[in-house]
This record gives sequence, structure tokens and C-alpha cells, in this order.
Amino acid sequence: MADVLIILTMGLPWLGALAVWLTGDRRPQLQHRLAVGFALAAALAALLLIGSTSSAVELRIAVGGAFGDFTFVPDGLGVFLAAVATVVGSLAVIFSVDYMHGEAQLGRYYTLVLLFIGAMAGLALSGSLLLLFIFWEITALCSYALISFYNDDPKAVAGGIKALIITQVGGVGMLAGALVAYAYLGDYQISTLLSRHQELPSGVLSVLAFGFLAAAAAKSAQVPFHTWLPGAMEAPSPVSALIHAATMVNAGVYLLARFYPAFEGVSGWTTAVIVVGLVSALLAALMALFATDLKAALAYSTISQLGYMVYAVGVGAVFASQFHLLSHAVFKALLFLSAGAVIHAVGTRDMRQMGGLGRQMPFNRAVFIVGALALAGLPVLNGFWSKELILEHGLHDGPAWAYGGMLAGAGLTALYTFRMVWMVFFGKSRRRDHVHDAGPMMRVATGALAVGTATTWLLVGAFGDLLEDSLPFHGLHVEPARALLEEIVTAPATLVALLVVALGLLAWWFRDRLAWIGEAVPQVGQAAAADFGFNWLNRQIVDGTARTAEALRTTQTGYLNWNVLGIVAGFVVVLVVLAVG
Amino acid sequence: MSALNWVTLGVLGLLGAGLYGLLITRNLIKVVIALQILVKGALLALVAAGQASGQINLGQSLAVTVIVADTVVAVVGLALAVQVKRLVGTLDVKALSNLRG
Repeated sequence: MADVLIILTMGLPWLGALAVWLTGDRRPQLQHRLAVGFALAAALAALLLIGSTSSAVELRIAVGGAFGDFTFVPDGLGVFLAAVATVVGSLAVIFSVDYMHGEAQLGRYYTLVLLFIGAMAGLALSGSLLLLFIFWEITALCSYALISFYNDDPKAVAGGIKALIITQVGGVGMLAGALVAYAYLGDYQISTLLSRHQELPSGVLSVLAFGFLAAAAAKSAQVPFHTWLPGAMEAPSPVSALIHAATMVNAGVYLLARFYPAFEGVSGWTTAVIVVGLVSALLAALMALFATDLKAALAYSTISQLGYMVYAVGVGAVFASQFHLLSHAVFKALLFLSAGAVIHAVGTRDMRQMGGLGRQMPFNRAVFIVGALALAGLPVLNGFWSKELILEHGLHDGPAWAYGGMLAGAGLTALYTFRMVWMVFFGKSRRRDHVHDAGPMMRVATGALAVGTATTWLLVGAFGDLLEDSLPFHGLHVEPARALLEEIVTAPATLVALLVVALGLLAWWFRDRLAWIGEAVPQVGQAAAADFGFNWLNRQIVDGTARTAEALRTTQTGYLNWNVLGIVAGFVVVLVVLAVG
Repeated sequence: MSALNWVTLGVLGLLGAGLYGLLITRNLIKVVIALQILVKGALLALVAAGQASGQINLGQSLAVTVIVADTVVAVVGLALAVQVKRLVGTLDVKALSNLRG
């Protein structure tokens, strides 16, 4: 049963991709229907798969030779991420029916989106390191192609290439890790690595651990690899919601959580993870505070929230990180989709040209505010519970300096969230023309996500059992739902966090009186608006690589004799190595 | 010296001569000839290895396959040489490296 469901979860989106592609762009109505149908069917299969969760290999495809077996393991982490990918994916596809209405090249759009959904489900369910890497790269390719979907816009093309290159740098770290694991253990299976990691020499294990950390940071847009995510905002909004908020960027956190049992003993690894999470959460929150592009502000906020999840893995709170991943996937997809409805209506992403849109888009304002309250961490929405859980674990199990930093981040989150809501929906209207509210299909998608934002925290008990029962190597201990929720409500950490959030709100309320702070230290705002120099750093690395390549070009003479000399020299080196070693 | 040693010496001699030819010559016809000498060394090695390991059939059938492939290489190489002479006016391989970006 489980093997059929695994095949359906991955295969239905890919089948749909093929069907949409073969339909052709002359029948857009059929394309919309096919895409929605296949995406919903895949979501149904993924939800049914939760019922047959187990830690055993349920599907094994022997490919032979050095590739090992391609296995699929529907354990708690896997089925959960596959369900998020397919459910949010189908909602994004439903939203696209309105958003992409009348656009050219719908076939390319839906094919890539469906291909991505299938690959993401495969990534989550894969039980083999090599297969994980293959799916990892397919999602990166889809992300690249969808960022550059409007390929006559040079900014979109540049953003796509930047995203592809940076995630590839991380992908190399992951491939190296997979090959090292194979070389020492003779097997690509993830369970082998988790159960026999003590057999690896400690130096090799730390190479593996930090290689995977680099891969995760590049995929999850953590400092210093985060610069690609704001550039990725050139993609159509449903793509931003699906790939760059709800699913693909979570793959990094998923990777860290998946391999946490193997790497927690590596000296310095957990501290490195905490630092990456903390720096990302704080810097990105500051950048979100100064962003003027609506989607860029949301992108920085995504980096910041992913920082919270990475930090949670660093302090050993794997369950809290996955719980926040679920909450964040739902409310951030909601925010991106309703931001997409705004952008669709007003035709710009610049928040300075918005304002007072609430009266013309009441439905959209309502759902956006639900998402914003969850992002700010106000009770009783899902973001509140998961963020409090992370902060509580951080207080008990992590270093105090990191906890203080994350707490400050929570305050900043509230501040930039309310700035965003205010600039878009309230204040003085800066436009004369009439703006239409979200279309019916948009309302279906954002409405469903708003309901999810208000209710997914109720699943905490079932989710805890799911992870506890099917992850033999993590040794998770999740308390029953009631006890867990009571603990969150009564813990002093929650009160402190709520106080900080309230401070953030007050700071926005009295922003005029606090303006002197911004004027006193204008460097902070300027540095945040300039991305704290990370884009400059990127530029230097790219230029350096280009210069090196140019310098190496002189070795390409094109003369036969020199080439033969190179071959002979290489042959001699091989002979010497064989003779000596 | 046993027969096998003599054959090994022959293999090394042919390979060395072929490589040396490829290293020093710039004439396209001579490049093809050097390539042929190189491949003949490899052929001899295949037959000798088949004899030494007792798998005579395997060694000889591989050698026959190499003869066929090698003939094709020679034919294509010489045809290219003819075309190069017609188009460029010389057989010097250095004159061919003008595709610079």
C-alpha cells in the first residue's frame, strides 16, 4: 500500500507535468484544469501516505553497480514534508489559475511547477543519499527556470542564474558528503550513515557535517549564502510562495534535522549551526525592516524565520524546528499569495506606491493580517506556538547569548511585520484608480491557508507522535499535545517573548517619536538597505573567478603537440603514483 | 630473454615511437602515421596479453576490433588532411589553431 502511495505522490505531479506540456498553449483552460487536478490528486495521495508512516524501506528500486539501491522511506520527517509540498503546491496551483490568467506560455509554467512538486516529494521521501542529491538538484533546476520565467526581463534572468549558482555551491558540498559516506561505509543509505557514523574517522565525519551544513545554508538561504533569495523574487508570486517560502528553502532545515543524530557529536558543529541561524535571523530581520519592495521584505522575513529553524536544530530541538517549519510553510505561503494578489491588482511591488489598499481589498487585507499576526508570533495562531517552542528550547538547552539574540529577532519581526501591513493596507491611499480584490480562485487558496494558519497548531500532538514513532535514530521525546501546549502557555519564556513582541509593536506605534534613533545612527539603515555588504562580497567572488578563468585561458593553446605533451605528463604522474603508493 | 619480454619491449618501442611522433610533428599526414604506430603498439599488447593470460580468443578478437576502428580513424584523418590542404593551403597543424574567442 505504502509503495503505491509513494509512487503516486511523486508520479502524479510528473504525469501532470507531461499532460500539461502535451496539451499545448492553445488550450489554456484545459491546462489550468489538468494542473489543478493532478496537483490535488498528489496532495490526496500524500495525505493518505501519512496513514502508512513507517521507518522501513517501503519501495526499493535496484539500479545496480556503484549507484546502490534507490530506496524510499516514508518516515515522519519525509511524509510530513511531502504533504506540505503537495498541499501547499496544489493551493499555489489553484491560486495560479487567477494569477496567471491570460499569460503566455502557461504550459512551461505549469510543467515546471508540477515537476518541482514531484521532485520535492521525492526529496522528502528518499532514503538514499545519492537519490536525495538527484532530487535536490532537480528542485534547484526548477527553481532556476521559474525565477527566470519572464525570460525577456534581464533582472529575472540574472536572479535565476544567481540562485542556481549559489545553490550549486552548496550542492557540491552535499555530493562530496554522499561520496565520502559511500567510500567509507560502502552504502548510500541514509539509515546506514545514521546507524554507523561512529565507524567514520572523526576528521571525515566533520568534513561530512560541515559539507552538509554548507549545502543546507545555501538551499535555505542562510548567511552568507542568502543573497540569492531576494533576487529570486522576480518569479511569479505563486512560485515565490511555493518554492521560496513553503518548500524548497525548507529542504536545508530538513537536511540538518535528518542528519542531526549523526552530526551532533562533531565538535563545533552545533555551535556553527546556532551561529548561522542566529546571524541569519537577526541580519535578515533588519534588512526586512528597511526593504521597500513588498516581496523582498517577505523574502528577508523568510530568511529570518528559516534562521529560527536552523537555530532550533542547533540547540537540539529537532521537533520544534519541524513544527515551526510546518507553521511557517502555511503562514508564509499565505503571505506570499495575498501579496501576489496585491501585486496583481496594483501592478507594482514597491510598498511606497501602495497604501490604503485595505478598503478596496477587504478580503485580501483580512487574510494578509492573519498571516502577519502569525509571523509576528501573536497568540493563538500557529506561528505563536512554534516560535515559543523554539525559544523555550533555546532558553533551556542553548547558550544564553544566542537566546538573547533570537529574542531580539522576535521583536524585530513584529516591528517589520506591522510596518509591512501598514504600508500596504492602511494609511493614505497613493492611487486614484480603482483596484479590484482577489479573484475567486485566489480566495480559495488564501482562504484555505488562512484557516490553516489558525488551526495547524492543533495538530501538534499527532505530529509529535508521527516523528517520535518513525525516527529510530533521533530518540525524540515529544510530550502529549495538552501538556506541551500548557507548558508553552505557562513557561516564563513565553511571557518574555510576548513582552518583546509587544515592544516591537510599540516601537511601530511610536515610530515618529523613535525616528531620532534612525537619524542618530543612519549607518544601520544604509547598511541594511545595502544588504550588509554581502552582495559586494558575492560580486568580488564572481569577479575573482572570472579573472582566474581568464588567466587559465592562456593554457588552452590549441596546439596538438602541447596537448600530447600534457597527456604524456599525466600518464607519467599516474605511473609515479602507482609506483610509489 | 623470453619471448614475452621481447614482445613487451616491442610494445614499449612502438608506443614510444608513436608518442614521440605526435610530440614533434606538425604535419597532419605524419600525425596520422604516428597515431597508427601508437595503435599498432596497443594491438601488439592486446595479442601478447591474451597469450600470456591464456585467453587467446579474447585477446585476438579485441585486436581485430581495434584494427577495424583504427582503419576508420586513419581514413577519416587522411580525408581531413586532404580537406585541410585544400582550404588552408598547408598541412601544418599550427595553422589550424586560429579559432580564437
